[in-house]
Amino acid sequence: MKRFYISYCHHRHSAPKPDAPALWLENLSASYDSGHNPALKNVSLTIPRGSSTALVGPNGAGKSTLFKVAANLLKPSSGRVKIFGQALGACHQRVVYLPQRSSIDWQFPLSVLDLVLTGRYVFLGWLRSLDKKDHKKAWEALKELSIENLAQRQISQLSGGQQQRVLIARALVQDADLLLLDEPLNAVDAQTREIVQNVLTHLKTEGKTTLVATHYFNKEEGLYDAAVYLKDGEICTVS
Amino acid sequence: MHGILEPLQYGFIQRALLASVLVGVSCSLLGVYVVLRRISNIGHALTHSALPGIVIAFMLGANLFLGALIAVLWTALMIGFLAKEDKVYEDTATGMMPTVMFALGVLLISSTKSYRDMSSMLFGNILGITSGDLVLISVIAIVIVAVLVLGHKEFQLFCVDKDYAKTIGINVETMRYVLLVLLSLSVVAGIQATGAILTNALLIVPTAAARLVTDRLIPLMLTAVGMTVVCCVAGVYCSYYFSLSSGASIVFCCGLCFAICWIIRLCKTKRM
Repeated sequence: MKRFYISYCHHRHSAPKPDAPALWLENLSASYDSGHNPALKNVSLTIPRGSSTALVGPNGAGKSTLFKVAANLLKPSSGRVKIFGQALGACHQRVVYLPQRSSIDWQFPLSVLDLVLTGRYVFLGWLRSLDKKDHKKAWEALKELSIENLAQRQISQLSGGQQQRVLIARALVQDADLLLLDEPLNAVDAQTREIVQNVLTHLKTEGKTTLVATHYFNKEEGLYDAAVYLKDGEICTVS
Repeated sequence: MHGILEPLQYGFIQRALLASVLVGVSCSLLGVYVVLRRISNIGHALTHSALPGIVIAFMLGANLFLGALIAVLWTALMIGFLAKEDKVYEDTATGMMPTVMFALGVLLISSTKSYRDMSSMLFGNILGITSGDLVLISVIAIVIVAVLVLGHKEFQLFCVDKDYAKTIGINVETMRYVLLVLLSLSVVAGIQATGAILTNALLIVPTAAARLVTDRLIPLMLTAVGMTVVCCVAGVYCSYYFSLSSGASIVFCCGLCFAICWIIRLCKTKRM
């Protein structure tokens, strides 16, 4: 029986095109002030399916801007973007964006479990409530991030590292194929770093595509298949 | 018991109690989002903006509440529209619109040379509520509760993480306008109960009080609603027995609830 579903988005959900890359950008430019100071300048990039790529650059290099465009949070001023061969917004169930921690209202009266469960909303749409399957997925993600003991804790009571793990757990429950992770390893404790690295390895073995923004890239860690270096909104090296 | 039942024999008291409870429920439910989104000034902005609408309706001999509704809706939509501009922050728009609207109201009042006829709108007169007013308040309360219940998870996500809401396809601009329109409706209903000046208290004080005693969203909503209902009923009785202003009595009871919750929190903190 077909489940009742009213999508949040007026776009029709489109299936990924076979053999299309996970993310494809062509001459992409974007800015926050109507084009006066572009944060991204003519960026062209192809991220193959199932790959794990580091997006490396200092603050202000354009890493977050690139993610915001790919996550449909910021309209590009020029250029083209395709996600799994489809236009932006047509595949939004398959893309998840992990924002920097500062974009969340951590004082909102919500438990960790409730915040992680918001990752399932995209499958529910309007008017439908969470069910057992959603809760099962959320608990699995909490366990993977070793934070199941924090499930009932208020999000206002979390440390920085715990906040990061909660956001990653939410990204996992969305079960997306393309994960845009904005500095998941930035300013976290050693335990969180290790757990997040394990999650990244696990995602790679599951065939998910990950694009991870980072200040620091160490080839020896073996976390990434490739690295793309950004500086002043432009790609300077791909390795 | 006689003291409680005696006023209920009067139709105007029954209407006042029902109206105040309906207004209280809708205002306090919305108030949770107002307080948690830290836009507490929006209540002041919308209530003060009702004035020119009321005066124009009075001058034209039209329904005063319809006038208030149009003025408040216009202000809410203008705040939403102006805040979309990068150079105008939401709190700037929220601060600017009511002062301009209020000034317009004062200019219009001075042209009518009468303050007397608008006093019940400014300070509330729930004991004077008619059956027609009650129908309007009931419809507004049903609309507000229905929208908030059906869109609970989306409103929650909109407050806690707007960007994520946007990435999964929720139109956050529409959510913001829906919230503003619901606030406008609740403010217009509230004007009948506590008046334009005091309605903001129904939006903010119960949630602020409930926030002191609970950290969870649903209990917070239920506590705020419960407290408002008690305060509205107590306010109506005080108004009946002591011949006090109904709006001021209800708001003062809300203030007392806040003080009690604050003392409870203080005792709990000291014990820990």
